[in-house]
Amino acid sequence: MSRLQAEHLYKVFGRRPDEAVRKLESGADRDELRAEGTTAAVIDASFTVEPGQIFVVMGLSGSGKSTLLRMLNGLLDPTAGRVLFDGQDLTALSPRELRHVRSTKISMVFQHFALFPHRSVLENAAYGLEVQGVSREEREVRAAEALRLTGLEGWEKSWPDELSGGMQQRVGLARALATDADLLLMDESFSALDPLIRRDMQDQLLELQKRLKKTIVFITHDLNEAMRLGDRIAVMRDGKIVQLGSAEDILVTPANDYVASFTQDVDRSRVLTAGAIMAEPHTVMGGKAADGTELRTPQDVLAAAPAAVAESTPIIDLFTPCSQSPDPVAVTDAKGKLVGVVPSSRLLAVLGEPMTPAEAPRDAEPAAAAGADVKKVAGV
Amino acid sequence: MFRLPLGEWVDSAVDWLQTHLVWLFDAISSIVSGMFDGIAAVLSAPAPLLFAGIVAVIAWWLRGLPAALLTFVGFALIDSVELWDEAMDTLTLVLVATLVTLLIAVPLGIWASRSRTVSAVVRPVLDFMQTMPAMVYLIPGVIFFGVGVVPGIIATIIFALPPGVRMTELGIRQVDGELVEAAEAFGTTSRNTLLRVQLPLALPTIMAGINQVIMLGLSMVVIAGMVGGGGLGGSVYRAIGNVDVGLGFEAGISIVILAMYLDRMTGALGTVVSPLGRRAVAKTRAMAEGWKIWTYRPQPVVAVAAIVALALVAGGMSVFGGSKADTAGKSAQVGDGKKISIGYIPWDEGIASTFLWKEMLEQRGFEVDVKQYEAGALYTGMANGQIDFQTDSWLPVTHASYWEKYQDRLEDMGSWYAPTSLELAVPAYMKDITSMEDLKGRASEFKGRIVGIEPSAGEMGLLKDKLLPGYGLDEEYKLIDGSTPSMLAELKRAYAKKEPIVVPLWSPHWAYNDYDLTKLKDPKGLWGEGDGIHTLARKGFSQENPEVAQWLKSFKMTEEQLTSLEAEIQKAGSGKEQQAVRTWLKDNSGVVDTWAPPRRTPGP
Repeated sequence: MSRLQAEHLYKVFGRRPDEAVRKLESGADRDELRAEGTTAAVIDASFTVEPGQIFVVMGLSGSGKSTLLRMLNGLLDPTAGRVLFDGQDLTALSPRELRHVRSTKISMVFQHFALFPHRSVLENAAYGLEVQGVSREEREVRAAEALRLTGLEGWEKSWPDELSGGMQQRVGLARALATDADLLLMDESFSALDPLIRRDMQDQLLELQKRLKKTIVFITHDLNEAMRLGDRIAVMRDGKIVQLGSAEDILVTPANDYVASFTQDVDRSRVLTAGAIMAEPHTVMGGKAADGTELRTPQDVLAAAPAAVAESTPIIDLFTPCSQSPDPVAVTDAKGKLVGVVPSSRLLAVLGEPMTPAEAPRDAEPAAAAGADVKKVAGV
Repeated sequence: MFRLPLGEWVDSAVDWLQTHLVWLFDAISSIVSGMFDGIAAVLSAPAPLLFAGIVAVIAWWLRGLPAALLTFVGFALIDSVELWDEAMDTLTLVLVATLVTLLIAVPLGIWASRSRTVSAVVRPVLDFMQTMPAMVYLIPGVIFFGVGVVPGIIATIIFALPPGVRMTELGIRQVDGELVEAAEAFGTTSRNTLLRVQLPLALPTIMAGINQVIMLGLSMVVIAGMVGGGGLGGSVYRAIGNVDVGLGFEAGISIVILAMYLDRMTGALGTVVSPLGRRAVAKTRAMAEGWKIWTYRPQPVVAVAAIVALALVAGGMSVFGGSKADTAGKSAQVGDGKKISIGYIPWDEGIASTFLWKEMLEQRGFEVDVKQYEAGALYTGMANGQIDFQTDSWLPVTHASYWEKYQDRLEDMGSWYAPTSLELAVPAYMKDITSMEDLKGRASEFKGRIVGIEPSAGEMGLLKDKLLPGYGLDEEYKLIDGSTPSMLAELKRAYAKKEPIVVPLWSPHWAYNDYDLTKLKDPKGLWGEGDGIHTLARKGFSQENPEVAQWLKSFKMTEEQLTSLEAEIQKAGSGKEQQAVRTWLKDNSGVVDTWAPPRRTPGP
């Protein structure tokens, strides 16, 4: 069962929005509508977010990503289309039912934290529970637990303005987690933080996600962040989703020049994985290792290799072993079986010019695994 | 250009409202005056110094010890210039107006902050209320609500409402949109978003609005004084009318003390009630060094306990020593404690005759309330039945316009002094000027000015419309609007320096006693026949008070009596009118028994 589905979502601001949607459906341009005084913020957005997945919506400001997010929990009413969550059509709910869904099933984390300055950290974290009508004792216990999860134990009695930006956003995260909602909507939640803190928060989110398995929709304008966090990424431009896929899909096969121009600045060594660039083991078999040993069997290759890594290892982790030995690094599966090798020449080649699809190594499938293993990267 | 009869429409609208919505105005009037009486009773119950102590404790709680000491000194000062009762009336007026204003302004501001339409509709209305000169709606206010505190409070509410509404709207709109969105994202109902997020965060701004409401209310008390609102405003208005700089300053400084106290306390209350403000205060207090006693503030509980203790002491005092010495032995009198209210305009013969009647009626056992009004308010108040009578109506000529408008609702008690005359007067040292005609061509000596009196006075109308054009002076001279006291002050100043001056005067007037003046002859007879000074009463007065009506009808004064009484009052200075009357009565013994004969039948 899929947890969150968006089906042909449109959001048009201005007069006669329905007419505008009809025009858009028949192929009208966003600029044509603007000339008439209506703004199409989101045009025909469809996607599915599986349970436990982090779905990142990436786009520049004005691309409609925040509008899209707000339609997912009904803060904005879609002009057309449906949002299904747990099979329930959110767009068909009465305001009262919608409020109930928001207070129990969907949480939100904001860009500028949106902490209530007149409430203590604990009271902030307990806010969602307070709205649900949970008793004071219970909500304080649960809020304190959520604060502990986000590493804010001992700060309960403080006030938001006494905390640093990163800590404030941890409160925001705790507030979202305290209600035990399945769906977490994060609106540029780390954009306002310093780069170092931002990395910490990304790590912590991934760490938490391993344990909590929430369904997360994460909005960002930073492709690096999108690639670090996203199991799947939607790139938006001018209200439309222009590409939908894994981090490697987007990096390796950008759908158009717009997406490609984005990927230029991405640190490929942290996104591409060993599995994505490795060569078949037989390419080295039959040769000789640097010390003269013949490589006849996978065991020989493994023995000669300076390191054996998993397919999901980002290639940044391969540089050190490659520099220590002329022999290729071995790539193994979960059982330790050799599935590929990465010679240092190959490692250098992938960091060069973006490869044309023809040259691209075999399409990497384990995108989900990439996210799970990023923790290793952070340790570097 | 087509003349739009806007004024006539308003006139008929007011008439329509007056006839069809009497019940509404009566209801509002009784609610507001009920609130006023209730709060006034509470505020004036404790002895002044005890009350000063109570407000000082509040200041201690909110702002610390220095504020408390200053507060006590300030309120003690008000008491020591004998304006305590007036100050309490003013405080009551401001509190009632503020209370009603907030009851209207805060919900309206909330509504406006949640709806663009409401905001768009409310804004021009607020502009209208804030900039329309208060006097314009004050007189209709008197027509609807009668003279006294109610129109004053209503005018204050109208004037003070806009900042209350605006600041509430602004405060709520200023709350970070992301916070409101966060509340909504967690499923908060819009009512709870308002109560738990928007209002608490808007509170500092709303409190600033309340502060503005109170300050504007205080600035309106003087205008309220013009329609009988009493209090410090009444004192100021009386002081202005009599060019009594001393009283004006005393009343003014009392208003300033009240204003500063209310301003500082509501400001501090703003930080105390708002969660954010409370934290800021706690932080700065923790950092403060030096003497603890200056920064120490009692906990609310302690403060309340102290106030209650003081209030109890106050209550006890008023139980044991408060009640007024009974005017025993006067029960056989005609009045028997019946209340009579007299209104007057601060013209000298009016003041003289009014205080003369106050003294005489009190001697006959009435309880007499005397209040100064602006002319329009006086006639309207009388027509509405709130003022029983006034003694200074010049008929048939000078005050004809008022008489024509209200004659159906007034009773003419006849003339008590005749004939009067109106004239322009110059000091006698201007030897070559004896007639109106002599003024021609001499404008440069008088700087082209005739120092006039109230523009509402009949004499001013006659001067402007008949006399000046009649003698060809309207090009040369400018008639300056002012007030009788300011005209007399200017006359006094010019007379002392022997400068040329020409002023409108009338006979009888004490100025002819004090200064050597020449009445300018009127060869063309344009001033017309001399008026009689009439006493006018509200309709039904003579039926309810046949004896007083009889006295008023047969009341007559000679020129010698009137000018000597006026001179006596002038000598005593303002605020001591009644003592002057008593002194005068001693020199003129027997007149009281003539004008207000005591009941013949001896009491038991």
